[in-house]
Amino acid sequence: MANNQDAKKLVEIKNVSKYFRVTDGTLKAVDGIDIDIYKGETLGLVGESGCGKSTFGKTLIGIYPPTKGKIIYHTAEGKPMEIKKKTLFSYSKMAQIIFQDPYSSLDPRMTVADIIEEGMIIHKMYDKQRRKERVYELLELVGLNKEHANRFAHEFSGGQRQRIGIARALAIEPEFIVCDEPISALDVSIQSQIINLLHDLQIKLGLTYLFIAHDLNIVKYISDRIAVMYLGNIVELASSKDLYDNTLHPYSQALLSAVPIPDPDKEAQKDRQILSGDVPSPINTPKGCPFAGRCPYVMDICRQEKPALEMKQGHLVACHKVEK
Amino acid sequence: MSKVLEVKDLRVSFDTYAGEVQAVRGVSFELEEGEVLAVVGESGCGKSVSAQTIMKLNPMPPARIKGGEITLNGKDIVSATEKEMREIRGKDVSMIFQDPMTCLNPTMQIGKQLVEAIKNHQKLSKEEAVKEAIRLLDLVRIPNPEQRIKQYPHEFSGGMRQRVMIAMALSCAPKLLIADEPTTALDVTIQAQIMELLKEIKEKTNTAIILITHDLGVVASMADRVAVMYAGKVVETGSVKDIFYNSSHPYTKALLKSLPTTDMERTTRLVSIPGTPPDLLNPPVGCGFASRCDNCMKICHEEQPEEFEVDKEHTASCWLLHPDCPSSQVGGDK
Repeated sequence: MANNQDAKKLVEIKNVSKYFRVTDGTLKAVDGIDIDIYKGETLGLVGESGCGKSTFGKTLIGIYPPTKGKIIYHTAEGKPMEIKKKTLFSYSKMAQIIFQDPYSSLDPRMTVADIIEEGMIIHKMYDKQRRKERVYELLELVGLNKEHANRFAHEFSGGQRQRIGIARALAIEPEFIVCDEPISALDVSIQSQIINLLHDLQIKLGLTYLFIAHDLNIVKYISDRIAVMYLGNIVELASSKDLYDNTLHPYSQALLSAVPIPDPDKEAQKDRQILSGDVPSPINTPKGCPFAGRCPYVMDICRQEKPALEMKQGHLVACHKVEK
Repeated sequence: MSKVLEVKDLRVSFDTYAGEVQAVRGVSFELEEGEVLAVVGESGCGKSVSAQTIMKLNPMPPARIKGGEITLNGKDIVSATEKEMREIRGKDVSMIFQDPMTCLNPTMQIGKQLVEAIKNHQKLSKEEAVKEAIRLLDLVRIPNPEQRIKQYPHEFSGGMRQRVMIAMALSCAPKLLIADEPTTALDVTIQAQIMELLKEIKEKTNTAIILITHDLGVVASMADRVAVMYAGKVVETGSVKDIFYNSSHPYTKALLKSLPTTDMERTTRLVSIPGTPPDLLNPPVGCGFASRCDNCMKICHEEQPEEFEVDKEHTASCWLLHPDCPSSQVGGDK
């Protein structure tokens, strides 16, 4: 998908920033992201906690208005639509989100049928009878069944709740879904069930995903392209194969080498590159490259000038050291 | 090498309003000096309860040791009184918890908390204890320990707090260190730092470590031996290589297969285990994994499987391994 030049742009993200005002200054959660998401692809977004990946996901579906920049969505009719207050309602019919925590993202006082139906009522879809049928269809689609419709969220396990969250997101037939760490709260044996389900749904319904996660093995498996985020910036963007075979940014390199492989022999041979220090605070960040403070190859220019996300050696990377 | 810990047929239950939850249903393992045993399993499988029972940290009631033996450094834990336990905790065994954010007292300086732990077990003057605290912080690689001991926990990052926890756990040179998901709350780059530190400490002090985790990657990089738990029981135990390359229990196999590997194509589907673990309020009569197992037989629902020896020091509890089982050969790699 990534190599296909003709792939249609679905979401254009133009220099989007999201700042929060806090007592000590400005918290730059997302700092000038400029990427496109293509129709039908899965774009993986990885980074450590606090790097702004969830904020970016929420900005993208309109939960937060961006501080700077524009988000343009290309509708099925081929019309570009800028996301702002006026268009937000019609946009919410096309873009949905699946949340990380299946325990707190479902209303404990609503039945499963009510939870799934709500979006359809808001968007005035179908009549009452058809909506009821749709709820049953959706439950079957995500691997639950009719009998579950009148139960409450607390009666389900974590994996089942996440399925309800997916059914809710699918109810209004969106084209674009932001998956905000949909599996990190689940056990390993349940994770693969959800991953397979998301994959099947994508093929069946032609969905486009932004898949946010910190488990790099899973992201590599599910994504067509992967964006690596650090301190509110995208530092590298490449097809998942390229990112693993030809990692260019020093942060991506450290991140990939830090992931333990579930294979003792490979682990023993691995030359692990360990980053010193912690992720710096996103409040009042210094100028220059955001990674300069922890980078083993830091140069003078890195502290002065912020590198742009440029095409180098076949994929997009923001680093002064990487040569063209 | 001498044996540090021996747990035999441990059974722990919780008495709740809904009834008796049999969290641990017969767990046995042992540990030698300088050895790392990884206990893996899904949430609710009893791995944390087993570990906490070694230190008797779970409140009793509602928890209750129904049976079994725990021998730590030759001391019997099950019959030990609370007073004796206070001596044992910290000195013979100590623990690192999952969440470094909530395990430190936010109103006390780091140094004070460390000195408290040191002075509880060792006869040292205050100055000596402070010196010891600085040495420990240096051991866990905290820069400028002299200044850092005067700071409060909120001035430390998550990874740094976990280092302080490790320093505190090591303060009385315990023979056994229990690490309950020590890196789950941390980011991968910080996780790599902490794992490296634990390995280094093990080399230096020859402490035995019980590593509780659900991350099989962490297991592969640290453990010598692995115990796989499911529904309150150890279903398979063996060396790390036995478990990863020659697993015999269907649960272990499915667990390993459900992980995507880095060289996997997107078109290959992940193996998933259908269903969910059993409710330990009413544990099944037969094998706990029977309802989710592909190779389930009639006997699996009726009787609990015994422990069968697969190899030297590699055992698994599965009826497929019974010599009379016709498909026991097939069961090897299915």
